[in-house]
Amino acid sequence: MKPFSSYRTSWFYVSFLAFFLFFTGCSSDAELDTLEPQGPSAQSIDSLSNPIFIIAGIVLLLVVGGTIYMWRFRSDHSDEEFPTQIHGNLKLEILWTIIPGLILVGVAVFTLITLAEINSTEDNAMALSVEGETVSWEPEVVVVGQQWWWEYRYYLDGLEGVDLSDARNLPPADIVTSTQMVIPTGEEIELKILSRDVIHSHWIPALNGKKDAVPGRVHPWKIEADEPGVYFGQCTEFCGLSHSRMRMQAVAMEPVDFQNWINQQMQPASNPVSETAKRGQETFSSLCARCHVVNGLNDETSIGADLVSNAAPNLTHFMSRTTYAGGIFNLYEPDGSLDRSQLEAWLRNSPDEKPAYAQGRRGMPNMGLDEKQIDDIVAYLQTLGARPSSEIISATEVE
Amino acid sequence: MTQTMEPSSLETSNGENLHRPLGVYTRPKGGSGWRDWVTTVDHKKIGILYGAAALLFFVIGGIEALLIRLQLATPDGTVLGADTYNQVYTMHGVTMIFLAAMPLAAAFANYLIPLQIGARDVAFPRLNAMSFWVFLAGGIFINLSWLLGGAPDGGWFAYAPNTGIVFSPSHGMDFYALGLQITGIASLVSGINLTVTIFNMRAPGMTLFKMPVFTWMMLVVQLLLVFAMPVIAVALFLLTFSRLFGATFFTPELGGDPLLWQHLFWIFGHPEVYILVLPAFGIISEVIPTFSRKPIFGYPFMVFSGIAIGFMGWGVWAHHMFVSGIGPVSVAAFSLSTMFIAVPTGVKILNWMATMWGGRIKFSAAMLFAIGVVSMFTIGGLSGVTHSVAPADTQQTDTYYIVAHFHYVIFGGIIFGLFSGFYFWWPKIFGHKLSEKMGKLNFWVMLVGFNLTFGPMHILGLQGMSRRIDTYSPGFGFETWNLVVTIGSFIIALSVLIFLINVITSARNARGLPPIGPDPWDARSLEWMTPNPTPVHNFDEIPIVESLDEFWHRKYGSDEDGKVVRVASAEDVCQDGSAEGIHLPSPSYWPLVFAIGLPFIGLGLIYSLWFCVFGGALALMGLYAWVFEPVDDPDVDHHEPQKEDVSD
Amino acid sequence: MTNQTHSAETSTGLSHNKLGMWVFLGSECLLFGSLISTYLLYRGRFADGPAPGDIFDIPFTSVSSFVLLMSSLTMVLALSALQRGDERNNRLWLLTTALLGAVFVGGQVYEFTTFLREGLGYTTSPFSSAFFTLTGFHGVHVSLGVIFLMSLYVSSARGNLHKERAETVELIGLYWHFVDIVWIFIFTVIYLVPSPTS
Repeated sequence: MKPFSSYRTSWFYVSFLAFFLFFTGCSSDAELDTLEPQGPSAQSIDSLSNPIFIIAGIVLLLVVGGTIYMWRFRSDHSDEEFPTQIHGNLKLEILWTIIPGLILVGVAVFTLITLAEINSTEDNAMALSVEGETVSWEPEVVVVGQQWWWEYRYYLDGLEGVDLSDARNLPPADIVTSTQMVIPTGEEIELKILSRDVIHSHWIPALNGKKDAVPGRVHPWKIEADEPGVYFGQCTEFCGLSHSRMRMQAVAMEPVDFQNWINQQMQPASNPVSETAKRGQETFSSLCARCHVVNGLNDETSIGADLVSNAAPNLTHFMSRTTYAGGIFNLYEPDGSLDRSQLEAWLRNSPDEKPAYAQGRRGMPNMGLDEKQIDDIVAYLQTLGARPSSEIISATEVE
Repeated sequence: MTQTMEPSSLETSNGENLHRPLGVYTRPKGGSGWRDWVTTVDHKKIGILYGAAALLFFVIGGIEALLIRLQLATPDGTVLGADTYNQVYTMHGVTMIFLAAMPLAAAFANYLIPLQIGARDVAFPRLNAMSFWVFLAGGIFINLSWLLGGAPDGGWFAYAPNTGIVFSPSHGMDFYALGLQITGIASLVSGINLTVTIFNMRAPGMTLFKMPVFTWMMLVVQLLLVFAMPVIAVALFLLTFSRLFGATFFTPELGGDPLLWQHLFWIFGHPEVYILVLPAFGIISEVIPTFSRKPIFGYPFMVFSGIAIGFMGWGVWAHHMFVSGIGPVSVAAFSLSTMFIAVPTGVKILNWMATMWGGRIKFSAAMLFAIGVVSMFTIGGLSGVTHSVAPADTQQTDTYYIVAHFHYVIFGGIIFGLFSGFYFWWPKIFGHKLSEKMGKLNFWVMLVGFNLTFGPMHILGLQGMSRRIDTYSPGFGFETWNLVVTIGSFIIALSVLIFLINVITSARNARGLPPIGPDPWDARSLEWMTPNPTPVHNFDEIPIVESLDEFWHRKYGSDEDGKVVRVASAEDVCQDGSAEGIHLPSPSYWPLVFAIGLPFIGLGLIYSLWFCVFGGALALMGLYAWVFEPVDDPDVDHHEPQKEDVSD
Repeated sequence: MTNQTHSAETSTGLSHNKLGMWVFLGSECLLFGSLISTYLLYRGRFADGPAPGDIFDIPFTSVSSFVLLMSSLTMVLALSALQRGDERNNRLWLLTTALLGAVFVGGQVYEFTTFLREGLGYTTSPFSSAFFTLTGFHGVHVSLGVIFLMSLYVSSARGNLHKERAETVELIGLYWHFVDIVWIFIFTVIYLVPSPTS
């Protein structure tokens, strides 16, 4: 029977091709790869799941191999001939209930151990110099999701007494940044994950699994990076129109660099020098500052509270970040120069660049700026914050 | 004879009432053409209607899937905008689960359960018709949203508060909530109806443990429906009241907790997975023994593992919520319960393999699809185990790894199983086989397309590609596999096309030929004792059942060495469908009238209460007329001594 | 024909209608279970609105609960009257049951309007939404039951409800008892378990 022999090869072909693709496919290097852990939590998850993938793979081979083997029992089409009629076998049934059960008990034990690991917290503290004083900071970052970007808030005196119950009205923080969470390497960072509108999920796959940001709740989580670098993330809970464009990065620095970063971020914005930038500041004050805060220029916003999330990114150190608009655009070209055309396009008509619900007070509206105003604002924005290191700029590039 | 007849239902209890026309509500005669179809209460016709409507929705959902794949074929796709994409992926999920997979299972359940248990119809034939029409009304209602300002855009899972009026201001989510409420009525009523049918209408001698595995799995499914539908109903009520009347269930500022929705949704949603998959398990539990020429291996274990899955399915819902902040203790508990639900599922897989082992396997199209379920579902089951491991799930959940997993379960398990059922029971239903040659082609094309589509999604997910994203940037390593996936999805579309062509050409080739003879597959269960296609009254004479696989045991015995020998030809065992004068429930308009009323009530809640008045009046009229229409067609001669009542 | 007797009897011995009603009531348990869970989650979340402990009038609700429970008794009397063939008493007790049910619903309407006056609207807080939804769903069930009872009454008055149709009354009775039993749970959960106060 010719067609039957081709079934057999097809079975082999399909199943082995699938396996081949599976294992080769996973080894490619992708920025969000879940199988390349760069921190202890991600590492312990990885060490737990790898053996389970292998066990599952073996079981799969046995079952698929078994179905292929059934070819041996093909009928020779003599209709009246019947095989031995077996109705069952109690011993076999018990065996194949207990053996998978035992394997799963083993899996369960390791699952519980890892679960305890990733839910435990260390009492680590690092010495930071804040405005000339040395403080002992237990690394904690308040992570706030909203449509469609992430805010990171640093309370350097610790979170005791900081009321996080209303994410839309959080107490003032020492440092407020967005889209890029800067952390020191080798320190376990405790996260408090909040949301200002719908459910989001915070996920930096190289550092740890994900945790949802649920409005009305404070979810503890932790991450830690072993080495300096830029680790990519993506909101993973569907959060509406621009869910796919809600990205973020963890930027891990050596503790020394982190101290420098703190020092810079604690500075308010200074007044610009050049004429264009001064004009830009005026335009910014009258239009942008209605929603965006620049410390030193406006500490309050006039209509920010009308926004559904009651928040727009704090732009005091805009230039110190390498990405904006929810992590979808890079601020710098690979050579370190400003990607001016993209920034201008964003200012010209942001809903065109990133779908938003501006008329529903969610996302940045088209401000109707003319080209001159755009030039001025770009000049002003360039005065906000210090440029990050070229390592960080080049690490932000995805190629 | 009228006096000696036992009352078979409330309305007929007084024999005199039978002949008294109550008002204007006379019942339609059998008739022919479309009028026959819209008034039918015959479980077989209703099954066919379910199948046809569900296949239509399956094609619609498939087109939505192709649109999704076109958008995602390349990075920064522009085929659909973000807004349209969100609507399309939401409707793909809603359509495939509620309007394709569930009603396809209902099609098989309706057609086959009465036949497999030796009954003439279901317990409540008019309610059965109502279930179908209400389902269809609900399905049309949800899809109307495309024309009325936008389809639902919050995902089939509809997590609050993103589905609230602030974040989803179009009427899409209202159509979702009200439409699923309507189809939910259909599922609940059908669940009650078929539960009663299976418990109450078995042929003499058919004890519960002589029922075919298909009927058993369907019984578990119906009970799951009965207990799961009210939970989603409450969730949908809370959503509807929040959106339309300003209730504050999901308003965090006032203390509303979005996790309430998730709990309610998944307490329904996880049993729903088994509602979807157990019918497919039932189908292949009929197909595999037939084509292996062996009885099902470990029948009681097959049954009990199905029941165990049904029970355990209620204790695993929070595994959909491992990262939603439910606390480590709950995570641990649900992680363990989820792992152990794999045990009864594994028992089923191994029993199917043991059934094939040592058999004389005929690799027919139906059998190929059934083997496809055994291996493809196993892949889905195993990836399921990998994310029952909660820490690993924090990496995998909401990525394409999950999309791959549940498509291996839903497509690899359910759709393959349903196609197996099509090829197996097509001659039973339509009196001719589908072309085996095209069927095998259909299988191989679908198998290749399926694995090309959903296999690479495992890789994409582990590489960190999120679910429900309308686009992705180049440079994350997603390009190649997404293109492969898109190509695969079109190969699946081709395989469905082959099936549809097969349906048409097989019907054309069969035109003018006499119906296929009895027992085309050398099958085992009672439904094959009736002629093909099944006559309107099912059985000439209700068989008395002595064993599991009754039909097979009537054909075969064993000689002194224990070898199987034929004792009767299929022609002798099968009934010829020639019985006359068998009393059957009369057709009725009112289930349809009632069903038409419901979407108008839905429209009224969204737009203007006047629609509600109209819809409510229609539904009430349907119900009122239903209650007061005579149960029997006055033209039928009630003094026929051989008649049998199927109560209504 | 062997099937003559079969078609009248069922495999379980229960009639289709009765078995169907039992299965339906099983389903209803999950409906009310979900609503009660929702209420339990939200009973303490009254935002700036009235708290449950401040607003409930427990003596009043106890009386209306007692009325509802008594209606189960009269329902039993109605059924047993019809089973004896006593159509007159059947009608009497059906009417009494319906009236008691209507009194209960009336009490609920009174309670709702009082609450509304005291500032507890449907949209005030998750507590208020959950409270009105749960008790409202129960109220709708009682009202439907009253309609069923009145239909039975009318049917009897027209001479269409005889001893042979006692099962119809029994089915409505099952439904009615279920709705009563659910109220015992709801009453306990909402009123008897000490409620948070503001």
